[in-house]
Amino acid sequence: MAKQYDVLFRLLLIGDSGVGKTCLLCRFTDNEFHSSHISTIGVDFKMKTIEVDGIKVRIQIWDTAGQERYQTITKQYYRRAQGIFLVYDISSERSYQHIMKWVSDVDEYAPEGVQKILIGNKADEEQKRQVGREQGQQLAKEYGMDFYETSACTNLNIKESFTRLTELVLQAHRKELEGLRTRASNELALAELEEEEGKPEGPANSSKSCWC
Amino acid sequence: MEYEDKAGRPSKPPSPKQNVRKNLDFEPLSTTALILEDRPANLPAKPAEEAQKHRQQYEEMVVQAKKRELKEAQRRKKQLEERCRVEESIGNAVLTWNNEILPNWETMWCSRKVRDLWWQGIPPSVRGKVWSLAIGNELNITHELFDICLARAKERWRSLSTGGSELENEDAGFSAADREASLELIKLDISRTFPNLCIFQQGGPYHDMLHSILGAYTCYRPDVGYVQGMSFIAAVLILNLDTADAFIAFSNLLNKPCQMAFFRVDHGLMLTYFAAFEVFFEENLPKLFAHFKKNNLTPDIYLIDWIFTLYSKSLPLDLACRIWDVFCRDGEEFLFRTALGILKLFEDILTKMDFIHMAQFLTRLPEDLPAEELFASIATIQMQSRNKKWAQVLTALQKDSREMEKGSPALRH
Repeated sequence: MAKQYDVLFRLLLIGDSGVGKTCLLCRFTDNEFHSSHISTIGVDFKMKTIEVDGIKVRIQIWDTAGQERYQTITKQYYRRAQGIFLVYDISSERSYQHIMKWVSDVDEYAPEGVQKILIGNKADEEQKRQVGREQGQQLAKEYGMDFYETSACTNLNIKESFTRLTELVLQAHRKELEGLRTRASNELALAELEEEEGKPEGPANSSKSCWC
Repeated sequence: MEYEDKAGRPSKPPSPKQNVRKNLDFEPLSTTALILEDRPANLPAKPAEEAQKHRQQYEEMVVQAKKRELKEAQRRKKQLEERCRVEESIGNAVLTWNNEILPNWETMWCSRKVRDLWWQGIPPSVRGKVWSLAIGNELNITHELFDICLARAKERWRSLSTGGSELENEDAGFSAADREASLELIKLDISRTFPNLCIFQQGGPYHDMLHSILGAYTCYRPDVGYVQGMSFIAAVLILNLDTADAFIAFSNLLNKPCQMAFFRVDHGLMLTYFAAFEVFFEENLPKLFAHFKKNNLTPDIYLIDWIFTLYSKSLPLDLACRIWDVFCRDGEEFLFRTALGILKLFEDILTKMDFIHMAQFLTRLPEDLPAEELFASIATIQMQSRNKKWAQVLTALQKDSREMEKGSPALRH
């Protein structure tokens, strides 16, 4: 039987509530767009297999709830990700301002070497725009991220941004991939690899166990 | 029956072509005309043998069609009978609830008979009343208090929309920006609450009610505020109660320990709930439990959505209401029992899946999830582990985690 995929990894979507994370994802995996989506509570999942540079990559995408209160929960998922989309809404200045906070959370909770990409969504709503394209570019440059303005509604840059983040993750794991080419039979589950390493419960607990 | 009657007397001799049609009584819609009409003059006549054969074939077809029609009629009749039966039993149940149970609530609500009736689902017309009684009003919220909270919420919306400065500074620690964000989030979430029902959205009949309850709650409990998931709970209550009563039920429901832990996102306590859930998971479904462990599928992944919205987002609405029926009676334990019932119902499918397929399946349950099967599955779940009940297991785990926090050497398990 043909292999279903060569590499498996996880991408995470984060950003304020209502910036369109779920819509981006639905457009990417199902090529669908609904203007009135049901709110995401906790975390939702989708999956898609794409081919990048001749490698079949299966990506699991974790779509998180955006409300600040939920971040205690969603932060727990950062360490299980290899790539993260930071999403704001070009028609909401506030969602853009919050990106800084999202980035610092990622720095704190995500594994080292996690790949990030900045997304300014709802690019079709030009008449409501509050955040200029240059502002997005500027912020992305500051943090050393790639940047896309996207629209789930008009299907602008959706495939491009998902493919780009996938490429970045693949590049970051080039070493493991070399191994894959030599032992051509096995698939590589980056997701599981990192999980094994990350098992000891995360920073909060380790500091606690220190002082007893 | 009329059908049998007619079918039962093919007495008159069939023959002359023209009569055949009349004789059949019943005509399948499409083909009749073509076959039985005389052949157009410009075509050669059919040999008698062939004509006879065709007529026979046609008659067979008619018989078949008639059979199908009869079967369909029987099916419809059965369906109608079934519906009548259900309606009658609902009607009877309504009478029982209204005439016997509700007037004698205090003495009857925990009786065997009522429990059985309760399990079968509370009829929609008395559901709100029963929920209100079962949830209670520990907080002693009055309609007046609701009006006060609502008035204050309205003031805030107004000052927000006029861009005016803050009227009051009483809720220290909750900045104006936070509050503004929360009010905006309510607006956004209302449009995303049961969007396919089209009744809570702007312009819909229940939009203002939902807005009022959520707004009033943020004024009643500024320390909790608005948290995503609440809009679903309030919406389900609105479908069954008047606004003020829905608010009372809403506030009391959220004040229960499990709901408070979740809506305040007390992560430590949530983990304790998950740990207690896993104790009963392993006890009831050891094979599936091992499979989940192997795949690193932790309970938070599916339980958060189920608990935060009390299943109203993940199950069909009428089924979710039936879960609420028993939840109002049995409390938080039933939420976790339901989760195990769902897992058990789909155990065979789940054991064949990998992480992502399980996660996808559980966060998007089948839309046609059968109510009776689910309740049968829930009924088989034992909420007892080594002679300990849910509350005992939970308390023990809570004690453990408190001791762990204090740095005591006592470890879990």
